[in-house]
Amino acid sequence: MNVASSLFAQILFVVFALLTVVSAAVVVFSPRIIHSAFGLLFTFCGVAALYVFLYADFLAVTQLLIYVGGILILIIFGLLLTQRVMDSKYFEQSHQRIAAGVLGVVLAGVLFGVVLATPWTQAPRPDTPTTEIIGVSLLTQYLIPFEMASMLLLVALIGAVWLARTKRGHHE
Amino acid sequence: MDSYAAQIVGILPEILLIVTAIFAILLDLLSKKEERSWVATISLVGFIGSGIVSVFLWNRVGFVFSGMVAADNFTAVFRILFCFIGAITVLVSPEYLRERKIRLGEYYPILLITVFAMMVMVSAADLLLFFLGLETMSIALYVLACLDRRDSRSTEAALKYFILGAFSTAFLLYGIALIYAQTGSTSYAEIMTALIVLPLEVVTVAGVGLLLIGFAFKVAAVPFHFWSPDVYQGAPTPITAFMSVGPKAAAFVALIRVFTISLESLADIWTGAVFVIAVLTMTLGNVVALRQQNIKRMLAYSSIAHAGYLLVGIVAGGPRAIAATSFYLVAYALMNLGAFTVAMLMNRRGEGDYQLDDYRGAGFAHPLLGVTMAIFMFSLAGIPPTAGFFGKLYLFSAAVEKGYILLVVIAVLNSAVAAYYYLRIIVLMYMTRAEHEMAAVPSFGGYTLTLVVTSVLVLLIGSLPGGLLNLLLAALP
Repeated sequence: MNVASSLFAQILFVVFALLTVVSAAVVVFSPRIIHSAFGLLFTFCGVAALYVFLYADFLAVTQLLIYVGGILILIIFGLLLTQRVMDSKYFEQSHQRIAAGVLGVVLAGVLFGVVLATPWTQAPRPDTPTTEIIGVSLLTQYLIPFEMASMLLLVALIGAVWLARTKRGHHE
Repeated sequence: MDSYAAQIVGILPEILLIVTAIFAILLDLLSKKEERSWVATISLVGFIGSGIVSVFLWNRVGFVFSGMVAADNFTAVFRILFCFIGAITVLVSPEYLRERKIRLGEYYPILLITVFAMMVMVSAADLLLFFLGLETMSIALYVLACLDRRDSRSTEAALKYFILGAFSTAFLLYGIALIYAQTGSTSYAEIMTALIVLPLEVVTVAGVGLLLIGFAFKVAAVPFHFWSPDVYQGAPTPITAFMSVGPKAAAFVALIRVFTISLESLADIWTGAVFVIAVLTMTLGNVVALRQQNIKRMLAYSSIAHAGYLLVGIVAGGPRAIAATSFYLVAYALMNLGAFTVAMLMNRRGEGDYQLDDYRGAGFAHPLLGVTMAIFMFSLAGIPPTAGFFGKLYLFSAAVEKGYILLVVIAVLNSAVAAYYYLRIIVLMYMTRAEHEMAAVPSFGGYTLTLVVTSVLVLLIGSLPGGLLNLLLAALP
């Protein structure tokens, strides 16, 4: 890789990293929940781009398809169908903001220090697309976690339906 | 590599619970309204069947599915305990649900899946599988805590539990990620060998710290306990009883597997932190429990204090301490299930109540409740000849053997403080007069059976503690 293209990659990385962090900050700090939802869109896209930098091609595409294409759309639909959400503001009378802020900053500082202090080992760069390797390991080494993930989704599904059921069904 | 059949046998108890859960969902959907009570019976059969299969798997299987699942004897012990807890919860639920007109719906299937997930947590030999089990269990519990949506307290409890649960999961996951980054594996065994070989980096320490915070949230240890009194008070009582023993035991067993086995080589680093957490947890739990007028809150704080005693076993480490911790988990499950069942029966004035004053004179008005409650309180206080006494004895003597004299002194002082609020209930029941007319207590076979079985087992383990201890020593991983 020549100097120019590696510089270009560096700039791209910084752009995507900034996109992720700034939009994540919007998600957390925006007083309007609908702004947070749209901020999440850019966070998810930025994370997908970071996966590309890590040569995790399958993960990047999945991130876009599932998180941006599925989950985020569901969140925004859910918000739009909830009454009075467009102008509702939350977090207004939270009185523990300062303590939480201090703790959060301290924790972030510690983790940042750890990241800087650690001599990270670099994984070898995969020279083939990762999809096949992931597919094979999901059905061999990671068969049980794979099945367990489906149980997790099953209970989440049943639970969500049960909780969201109308009051009429509840009083039966 | 074993044949697939042999591997499947290794996870047969889990498979049985899942099949029962799915069958129960279908039955609930397809049957007529009056036939739905069958769902409870079928769930009970599922728990008993799975427990029996777990007994037969004793000494039969080891690691299956490429080392992912440890179907060893240690797992078998807790599979049996969880099936017992699940069966007891099924026994006390139908009448409670009927009285409060809560639609059965998917209650029993979700309960079955919760117990299934607890089994996965204890049998996992890999952080990835453990995490999936923990999440499945947590999501099922959020739903169960929200059982009665008309009750704002129950909804509040569920929401609090959900938000703090998600928050603590983030810590746990961050810790797992950092440990993976350093060791290159999520398998308990590979982490153990990697940590012995690798030089110690600050990232490993941070990973262990975050993992510890995550676990401390899940077992409600101080200072990560804030959710538990509100959740225990707000959740429907059968679910509170279940939550205070089952998920707590599952988290402790995972803690044992991860900390005292995988991260054993780093014991110097985390023992100090767990020591401090243990002292804070038992002291705060007991001191605050003294002032509670609501029995559900009192038992919630008492449950925090017991988590503190259990952490003494984690600090001590070594086979004897692990066996003693497991012993204590079994004893604690029995006595706490019983105590919550009595609390549920004594409360006749709406879900928000559960006042200690209701116990005035109750010992003579309700002989069975009085006697069994006295047994559970003696056991929780750690007075012989009950299971609770030997639990504390084994736990503290294992810690003394390892030289943690100060910790044991603090724990014993705490037990003395705790005796006050446990024995106060017995005093109220037998030595004071009732101020009001005693409300009638519902007679339901499931309640009687629960009280008799748990109190008899508490006394039985209390009179023959060596048998269970030897069994647990033989089962150690």
